[in-house]
Amino acid sequence: MGKYDHLTERGDEEKLYLLCFVWDEPKWEFAHLPLQVKNLEQLRKEYPEWASGEPLLGAIPECNGASGLGPLGTERTALGARVTALRYAPVAQEFLKRGSPHCLRAGLWAQVLGVEVTAQQTAYFNQLKRNVLEVDLMIDKLIFKDVQLTASNDDQYFVFEDLLYQVMLCFSRDGEVLQQLKGSIGNALTVTIKGKQTSPESVTVFPPSGIIPFHGFSMYATPFCYLYDEPVQLYYTFRAFYIRYWHRLHYISTHPQGIVSLCLLYERLLEANEPLLWIHFRNININPIRVVFKWLMRAFSGHLPPDQLLFLWDAILGYDSLYILPLLAVAILSFRKENIFQVNTIQNVDAVLADLSTISIVPLLQLALMKP
Amino acid sequence: MDKRVTYCTDLEKSVIMSNFERRGWVQVGPEDEWNFYWSFTQNCRNIFSIENGYRMNDNQIINHFPNHYELSRKDLLVKNIKRYRKELEKEGNPLAEKTEIVLPSGQVATRYVHLDLIPVTYVLPADYNMFVEEYRKSPQSTWIMKPCGKSQGTGIFLINKLSKLKKWSREAKIPFHPQLSSKESYVISRYIDNPLLIGGKKFDLRLYVLVTSFRPLKAYLFKHGFCRFCTVKYDTSVTELDNMYVHLTNVSVQRHGVEYNSLHGGKMSVQNFRLYLEGTRGRSVTEKLFSDMDWLIVHSLKAVAPVMANDRHCFECYGYDIIIDNTLKPWLVEVNASPSLQSTTHNDRILKYKLIDNIISVVVPPDGIPDARWNKIPSTEALGDFEVLIDEELIEKEDTNSRCNRNIRSR
Repeated sequence: MGKYDHLTERGDEEKLYLLCFVWDEPKWEFAHLPLQVKNLEQLRKEYPEWASGEPLLGAIPECNGASGLGPLGTERTALGARVTALRYAPVAQEFLKRGSPHCLRAGLWAQVLGVEVTAQQTAYFNQLKRNVLEVDLMIDKLIFKDVQLTASNDDQYFVFEDLLYQVMLCFSRDGEVLQQLKGSIGNALTVTIKGKQTSPESVTVFPPSGIIPFHGFSMYATPFCYLYDEPVQLYYTFRAFYIRYWHRLHYISTHPQGIVSLCLLYERLLEANEPLLWIHFRNININPIRVVFKWLMRAFSGHLPPDQLLFLWDAILGYDSLYILPLLAVAILSFRKENIFQVNTIQNVDAVLADLSTISIVPLLQLALMKP
Repeated sequence: MDKRVTYCTDLEKSVIMSNFERRGWVQVGPEDEWNFYWSFTQNCRNIFSIENGYRMNDNQIINHFPNHYELSRKDLLVKNIKRYRKELEKEGNPLAEKTEIVLPSGQVATRYVHLDLIPVTYVLPADYNMFVEEYRKSPQSTWIMKPCGKSQGTGIFLINKLSKLKKWSREAKIPFHPQLSSKESYVISRYIDNPLLIGGKKFDLRLYVLVTSFRPLKAYLFKHGFCRFCTVKYDTSVTELDNMYVHLTNVSVQRHGVEYNSLHGGKMSVQNFRLYLEGTRGRSVTEKLFSDMDWLIVHSLKAVAPVMANDRHCFECYGYDIIIDNTLKPWLVEVNASPSLQSTTHNDRILKYKLIDNIISVVVPPDGIPDARWNKIPSTEALGDFEVLIDEELIEKEDTNSRCNRNIRSR
């Protein structure tokens, strides 16, 4: 089953249908899967700071440009500076739960992820770069294609394409990724070394990272470009985030934070808390997951504007959980439900949800989590 | 009397007209009774010309000041800024503070601390001798030649040797003797060869500034500006001096480059640029840069305010082009009185639509009827996505109030 996970250049919808084909289930829900997921009440306990209705950074657009920091922003920045100086990951993580001022994020994320760029790390990264220059891999073509089709066409990320090429190419050569993810990503693809006869000694993992990139893969890395302008720090922070979270979004597993559980959580939340919307989808014969799957799989990268996305990823890191993704998906649908009720084709539903640039995720999520 | 508001426009673009139609305005010709005229600069100048004898009534407003070229012509802008600085210096204003800097060649030069808005610039052929004197102070530097009256990057080129300038003047068949006057004047500026790069590429900023009055100065900055990126990586090597795709950020130039992408058009929003800067360099340097840019715009407007014909019927939206160098210092490149309303991308179209919409809501009084007599103090809602950059009338009012309060308290 793991073999189907990282199909290159297949659309998200195709992946989903293949998933269903694999499960040999005529229905297209996840509800029948024997996985346990939480309900909204339990999620409130997981995110108490958001459920309490206390003021959070990003709830009021006070740091949006020229007007300067409001009182909350100033307070959080002062506190955040002290937290950063402590250099103690658990405290930094706790701080991220209420959102980080943008100027402090780069440092705080690195602390929580345990990323420290030493001379050794830099040397290793330079070695990876040399590997990229010395040996071409077929994967490189996929990486180029991916970046060209996604980041390079996005007005929010196109300026960073050179940085992305560096990071993604080096990532593919990085055997440490495979080591750290052993067990979570199934069996990596192996190939026989050219010129040698097929035997257990002459096979090698391809690519060294064990992960074959696909369309949209580089979007896991693009938001980091707003935090780090030099490749080494960016690389290690992105890599740590990937190892901790992102791989769960495109490998099928029974892990409670894996993509399958997240889809199931989404369905349950939607059905329980927006029953009219659920019924509407059934009536117009649209699979509810179809409408949000691309958001979940990319953790909203490329769909939310960077400043909002970074608040979301603060929460992922702060609470060490991906549950916020399906929760946000349901919250957005709920917010736009009046428009969704008025349409009855998948294209029109997609059109209603295409532009998320006006969404403010913090108040939306607070609303979803607060007790009625 | 229930008359519909009428408009006239020289530019038949949907981004403009849809904004008028949305308000239920009726289109008329320039000879008819229009309340709102979106005109070409030439037609506006004609209306104001003495020979014309056209007198606008109180319910007519137009989108240009008659002598906007004091700001938009490169040579006049330089002249006005230099005059403004000298005046401040003469009156001993601390704004005109000067300092000495050491050039890469080792020579020492004086610069203004707060009013260093434009790179060292000379008008040619008039200032030719002064230019040569400055050039000799740093012979390794590159200079950029720009024709005064052109736009869209036309006729611009770089030189790094005095001999090249002489060669050009011979070839252009323009008499380059300082004593002879030339119709086609040029400005030559010290080229900013250390621009801030993102992703290895050079960019400049386009900001929109709406001015509804020069005396007292009332100027508003549109929140949605953008960075225009070159499609090719920045390269200062001599071989690339002639490659326009490396050096000129004008969209009209870049869109013909091989790497041009029409989805984003090489444009990044100012908000995202600010986010990037804050995330990678921290808050205080970012705040300082944006504050410096605000001041740059205000000073440039104050510089021309004394010479602008401050007709109450006029307002104008300028396109400011600013380059940021790698020390995060902003430089004013030029000011456009007719910023392009052409949309190169989807986002562009939305931005320009919003821009026109907000311009109209700022310049038209609350009752929706254009009026040259109204107090020109727009409400917060009317501002929309504009921010007040400076309103000298309101500042004056506050000062008077606080003086009154002080007088009352001291009794």
